[in-house]
Amino acid sequence: MESVLALGGLVLLRDSVEWEGRSLLKALVKKSALCGEQVHILGCEVSEDEFREGFDSGINGRLIYHDLFRDPLSWSRTGEALPGGPLGALQAMCRRTDPGPFTIALDSLSWLLLHLPCTAVCQALCALSHQHSRPGGSCPAEPVRVLGLLHEELHGPGPLGALSSLAQTEVTLSGALGQASAHILSRRPRQRPAHQTQWFSILPDFSLDLQGGPPLESQPHPDPHTPPVDPTARVTFNLHLSKKEKEAKDSLTLPFQFSSEKQQALLRPRPGQATSHIFYEPDAYDDLDQEDPDDDLDV
Amino acid sequence: MAAVATCGTGAGSTRSIVATTSKNNVTSFQRKGPRASGTDSGCSRLVSIAGTRPSVRNGQLLVSTGLPALDQLLGGGLAVGTVLLIEEDKYNIYSSLLFKYFLAEGIINGHTLLVASAKEDPADILQELPAPLLDDNYKKDLDEDICNHQTPDSNIKMKIAWRYQLLPKMESGPVSSSRFGHYYDASKRMPRELIETSKWHGFFFPEKLSSTLNKEPCSLTHGYRRLLQFIQKVIYEEGFDGSNPQKKQKNILRIGIQNLGSPLWGDDICCTENCDNSHSLTKFLYVLRGLLRTSLSACIITMPTHLIQNRAIIARITNLSDTVVGLESFIGSERETNPLYKDYHGLIHIRQIPRLNNLIYDVSDVKDLAFKLKRKLFTIELPLQLKSHLGLI
Repeated sequence: MESVLALGGLVLLRDSVEWEGRSLLKALVKKSALCGEQVHILGCEVSEDEFREGFDSGINGRLIYHDLFRDPLSWSRTGEALPGGPLGALQAMCRRTDPGPFTIALDSLSWLLLHLPCTAVCQALCALSHQHSRPGGSCPAEPVRVLGLLHEELHGPGPLGALSSLAQTEVTLSGALGQASAHILSRRPRQRPAHQTQWFSILPDFSLDLQGGPPLESQPHPDPHTPPVDPTARVTFNLHLSKKEKEAKDSLTLPFQFSSEKQQALLRPRPGQATSHIFYEPDAYDDLDQEDPDDDLDV
Repeated sequence: MAAVATCGTGAGSTRSIVATTSKNNVTSFQRKGPRASGTDSGCSRLVSIAGTRPSVRNGQLLVSTGLPALDQLLGGGLAVGTVLLIEEDKYNIYSSLLFKYFLAEGIINGHTLLVASAKEDPADILQELPAPLLDDNYKKDLDEDICNHQTPDSNIKMKIAWRYQLLPKMESGPVSSSRFGHYYDASKRMPRELIETSKWHGFFFPEKLSSTLNKEPCSLTHGYRRLLQFIQKVIYEEGFDGSNPQKKQKNILRIGIQNLGSPLWGDDICCTENCDNSHSLTKFLYVLRGLLRTSLSACIITMPTHLIQNRAIIARITNLSDTVVGLESFIGSERETNPLYKDYHGLIHIRQIPRLNNLIYDVSDVKDLAFKLKRKLFTIELPLQLKSHLGLI
């Protein structure tokens, strides 16, 4: 689970109705806050009190909460609501100026996708995650982490695929027998993505308890599918020769083999023979007349 | 002798026939000399651009894609003035590698580069280009690889077709005298001096996005319009279309566009199935192809087609591009454990090859090709080649 926070960039927490992800989000937020980072929270789905519930006062003091839940459409006009709506709030976070490691938790990304066009959300997320490569400023080595909670069932394959392609880490929540598991897919740049499955549980004070796995009998057996295909299994010719067969094959002389002995025999002149001779037996009808070999002169 | 006389007259008659033919100069045998037709001289003028060569099939001017194996599959190389569309693999590992090979080839040959991306800064992309392989280092590594892969049976000399032993082996590595198509080491970076001496233009869309205040409505998505304007400006100002007479030698412009069609460009064809401006990308490709055909440039585009929801758009995009190559990696799919594919990292599909000044396609008859990224090299092969234990008999 440490790798989830270590990589930086966009971390997608995909949850579903059976396995909810807000507690994992809060656990990760608590972990970042305990590391001394600044944590900004964009709360859209639940109220601030409900989100802060369960955190102790130290952690609560470190969280900077941007509340979009109470007044998402800015109707109250008291100045408390965030200017520019949700998109403005996201863009304001992009323009932060203070250095230091930075974590943004989006609760939730699904709410943003439903209220804003998908392209705007993707562009804002990309700008957030790549903030450290801003021109003109020094490149801080600390990563900017964006934790986004995404409810899988609310979206079609389009937005899910688009966000997956942007994410550095994807954590998909599932589980078995009351035990939650996280399937972590981390994509380091220019490297193959790494899969990992981690069983865990969240304690009441939102700290993570990593576990080995559920009891053995609950684990699904790998289904006895067909054994791996061997391409050389069922060919109509013999691919493997026994030793005897190999010896027999090697000792076979092929009909048109031009061996060196034959070559020498042809090249070496036979003893007692300078030129070649032609032996001819004249026939009864042969007329060996040198002056008229074709016998067509009318003489 | 009478016989001799007849022979003599016969010879005389043939001699006279020869005489008549030489007088009329009616022979079908024509020698191609330096005083040939104008197209030949035009062709010889264009060949002098570094890094290009005419195709052996129809004389079309070709540039290398940076991967000699891919050049071979495409019929010698990528034609100048055309678009190479690469359909990205799921995690965008190998398609970005092909993209970088294309740009690296441009730097080695001294071409001008134009890199456009909405995700990464073009300067960062150029820093990560692979280093070119020097021939002697490569030959050492290639020999090592061959020794590792050879089974003991393959040392059997040929018994029936022994004449073929005299033939030189098929070159699977770099030929030292090749000026067209270089090999790159994906594990090393290109030296900074080479990048700094090269000429390149970068288009990073988020920068351009922040500088505009009002977005006037138009049929093309904002990002595409800005990109087309940028490309047009570069082509016009640098004289790649012949408008400003170039005092120095003619050069090729290599355009690389990364992740076209992703939501970062402002296009939502990857997000929804029925999008409002679904024709934006197809219009972009059409205008881009018009720009390319009238200039000395070649373009590579990588597109995440696995994210596009509407299959009809993919078909339109394929028709509007010239050469389309699809990459499918085995990562995460069930083919990873299939022993047929155990040496390979993915499949490469040649979906379309253009008909340029031709009536027929140059389609290869081999469809199932697989690629693998060995320690340093990207090779494309037939995956089901049964190895040498079959015997060479």
